[in-house]
Amino acid sequence: MLATGLISWWYCDGYKLFAAKLWTKLGDTADLFSIGSLLRTLFAPYRQISANAGGKSIDDKILGLIDRMVSRFVGGTVRLGIVIFGIITLVLQSIGSIISLIVWPVLPLTPILFIALAVMGVAL
Amino acid sequence: MNEFKYNSLRAKYARLGHALDSNVFVTFLWLGIFAPIVFGSIMLFYGSSFGWLMFIISIVCIISLTIIKLLLTKVPVGKTDDINDILSANALAIMDKNPTPKSIAPKLINTRSGRFLALRFGLIPNLMIGVANDLPDDMTAVFENARKIKTQINAPQISGGILSIAIILTHPNHEEILSRMRLSREDLIEGITWYNYLHGLVKASQKKRHDGGIARDFTFGFTPLLSRYGQNLSSTRSLTMKTQLFRAEHKEAIKQMTDIFSNAGRQNVALIGPEGSGRSAVVNAFAEQLLDANSPIPRNLKFRQIFKLDAGALIGGTSGQGDIERLVAGLINEAYSAKNVILYLNDAHLFFENAVGSVDISNLLLPVLEAGRLRIIMSMDEQRYLEISNRKPALTNALNKIMISPANEEETMKIMEDQVPSLEWKYRVSYTYWALKEAYRLGDRYIKDVEMPGRAMRVLEDAARYAHDGLVFAESVQEAIEKSQGVKLQASTSTEEARDRLLNLEALIHEHMIDQEPAVHAVSDALRRAAAGVRNENKPIGTYLFLGPTGVGKTELAKALSEVYFNGESEIIRIDMNEYVEASDVNRLIAEGSVDAMSLTAQVSKHPFSVVLLDEIEKASPQVLTTLLQMLDEGILRDTKNHEVSFRDAIVICTSNAGADMIRENIGSSDYEKIKDELTNHLIQTREFKPEFLNRFDEICLFKPLSKEDLRKITTLLIKNVNKTLAPQKIEVRLDESAVDALIEAGYDPMLGARPLRRVVSKTVENIVAKASLRGDIKSGDILTINENDIKAELN
Repeated sequence: MLATGLISWWYCDGYKLFAAKLWTKLGDTADLFSIGSLLRTLFAPYRQISANAGGKSIDDKILGLIDRMVSRFVGGTVRLGIVIFGIITLVLQSIGSIISLIVWPVLPLTPILFIALAVMGVAL
Repeated sequence: MNEFKYNSLRAKYARLGHALDSNVFVTFLWLGIFAPIVFGSIMLFYGSSFGWLMFIISIVCIISLTIIKLLLTKVPVGKTDDINDILSANALAIMDKNPTPKSIAPKLINTRSGRFLALRFGLIPNLMIGVANDLPDDMTAVFENARKIKTQINAPQISGGILSIAIILTHPNHEEILSRMRLSREDLIEGITWYNYLHGLVKASQKKRHDGGIARDFTFGFTPLLSRYGQNLSSTRSLTMKTQLFRAEHKEAIKQMTDIFSNAGRQNVALIGPEGSGRSAVVNAFAEQLLDANSPIPRNLKFRQIFKLDAGALIGGTSGQGDIERLVAGLINEAYSAKNVILYLNDAHLFFENAVGSVDISNLLLPVLEAGRLRIIMSMDEQRYLEISNRKPALTNALNKIMISPANEEETMKIMEDQVPSLEWKYRVSYTYWALKEAYRLGDRYIKDVEMPGRAMRVLEDAARYAHDGLVFAESVQEAIEKSQGVKLQASTSTEEARDRLLNLEALIHEHMIDQEPAVHAVSDALRRAAAGVRNENKPIGTYLFLGPTGVGKTELAKALSEVYFNGESEIIRIDMNEYVEASDVNRLIAEGSVDAMSLTAQVSKHPFSVVLLDEIEKASPQVLTTLLQMLDEGILRDTKNHEVSFRDAIVICTSNAGADMIRENIGSSDYEKIKDELTNHLIQTREFKPEFLNRFDEICLFKPLSKEDLRKITTLLIKNVNKTLAPQKIEVRLDESAVDALIEAGYDPMLGARPLRRVVSKTVENIVAKASLRGDIKSGDILTINENDIKAELN
């Protein structure tokens, strides 16, 4: 009865629970990289504080413009880098999750495979 | 439905999980995963196909670990209402084949919730075994009670703690058992609710919180000045457990703040409420909500950060108005430029007044508030807010006011229950439930400068220093209050010696004064009632009016009381009421401590556990007496700054010579109670006292004139005092009978009582000792015997 219950759990509630955990982990990673937010503000100035505080002369305005352009360039570069890194991470994690979901049902059966390989004398 | 099945699948899972979920076994499984992979790979590398078999061990260990962590230790509740489906994993694990209340009682401590109740409510194994029956049928009743509790508290399953409570409630005399433990059914229900709440917090803290990710603040400016002078509540909060709000008023305040800051209009909020009422908790919870990606707040508020600026610290850290104005202007500019900052000015009233420790920069802040471009939260005391609105109506008109009132008992208990884990972690102690209740009761009674829940929280924090064996009991809380407030709350009946002392108070008082039995009985009874905890706690310990001629022991009794019960004569607060004869003297009597340290209210606020002696009360002005009515009635007097001063731990004694002639003429010849009634009527008719004033006293005590026999006993007491003074010089004075007679003869005056005798003793005995000492006739260790001739020689 215990063994039947455990097998039943592995292929039913356990599988659902495992899938939910993988999904939560993906959500955590997505939140960590906040890709949506990065794309929305891709070329916004980066952590800028001084550009708005300029005076009214032409020189000040030109300086402010240059300051903002530099800040936007830095921001764009940093954000793009994080977006790319985040997407790669998410893709890899998703692939890992799909593989895990495939492996989960066959995991209890793998000992049979290993026994077969051992009996067949397969080695590296 | 209530029949336990030992072989149910959940029960088997629970027992297996209980057996396997140990650190040793789990470590063994982790080793079992990695070691075979390494060895198997090596074997395969060297050509042995048996390396594949090693991987089987790893697979078995992976599956085992997964099953233990995801299934066996949790054992999710079943789908039906059957007891086997709703018992928790921990509860299932302790059940034997045919469980009885007695068989599971000692094992309940092995469940987390059972341990929680044992620690905080005293439901320890010995008690549980004593309460539980050994009949299998009783288990059905226990399960039924447990099911009711589960429904009542809306718990997902029946835990060990619920079973502990159910076992107690199944006992026919459970009310008596709980009463002896100073608990009720409701307290236990509150206890398991408390556990479930904390358990929920722990589970919630294990989940990762979504707070915007690494790019959250990229578009916002740096805040070096704010980081230097302020505290970023958002970064602090994100690291700790979530602030819980238990008060509807606080939740409403957050909703209002969200509305104000997300809509157009003046972007400021003024949280108005007394200190300790939870203004900071509201701001902290708001800060957390802003950082929570899943909270239902408008997008334009998401991930805004709250910087707390402490007005007192800013003002203290600068030198002068110009400096503080420049600093605050810099902080405001930075906050505005950063675009994601909400400023929180704590104790903001300090920025709007010119006094010690404050500075008026309203000219700088008012335009910022009126422009409404920078989001600002201010918190201030209600009284200060009213004062500012009187002086600067334009300023208060520019603020969006949100009122925060003090918490009630239920809310305060919830807040304490929420905060206890962080205090326990900080002080390495555990708080019992009684400690929490006592903290509320005594905080409410003795802490006056902050409001609830701040009062109770402060007491609870102080009590950590008085923990016994790491546990904070109600007694620890009492000890903390005793030390901080100078009152006496415990131990007065805890030892046999203390109990004997209380039972023999009259005799002890008579070591200091003689006779006056009715008054001595009255005050002794009051102290016994107070010590036994049967007095009305919303009044002074006792209020007495001592009437009688001068020099008969009225003041002496007050002093004797202080000596015997109130830790020495320094605990007496004596006010001569003949100094308060004008109506305007009321202000002097109740002056605030910083204005007059010797006023009645100032002295009592410093020494609440005292004898308050108001001498010659008949001479005080009627307005002064009217002022004292609330003190006599409710034990409360408000000083000129409207601070409440408690007299509830004091004995108030008023003395008066009014009606002395009547007492002298009638006492001894008539019934005591009759004379007292006649005298009371006489005092009302002659308008010496108003009836409402006399009615406020617990008892009016008459002091009879002293006889010669009384003076003989008083002489003994006076000589005892002389010897006490001479004790450091090791000199003793003894009087023979003739000397005592001579003293009484010289010191007896029926009109003036014992006072002339005191003067005579001073003039004769003390002079004789002084001269003998100067002449070198006596030295340390000598006994000086004085006779009639010595006395007479001095008198002449």
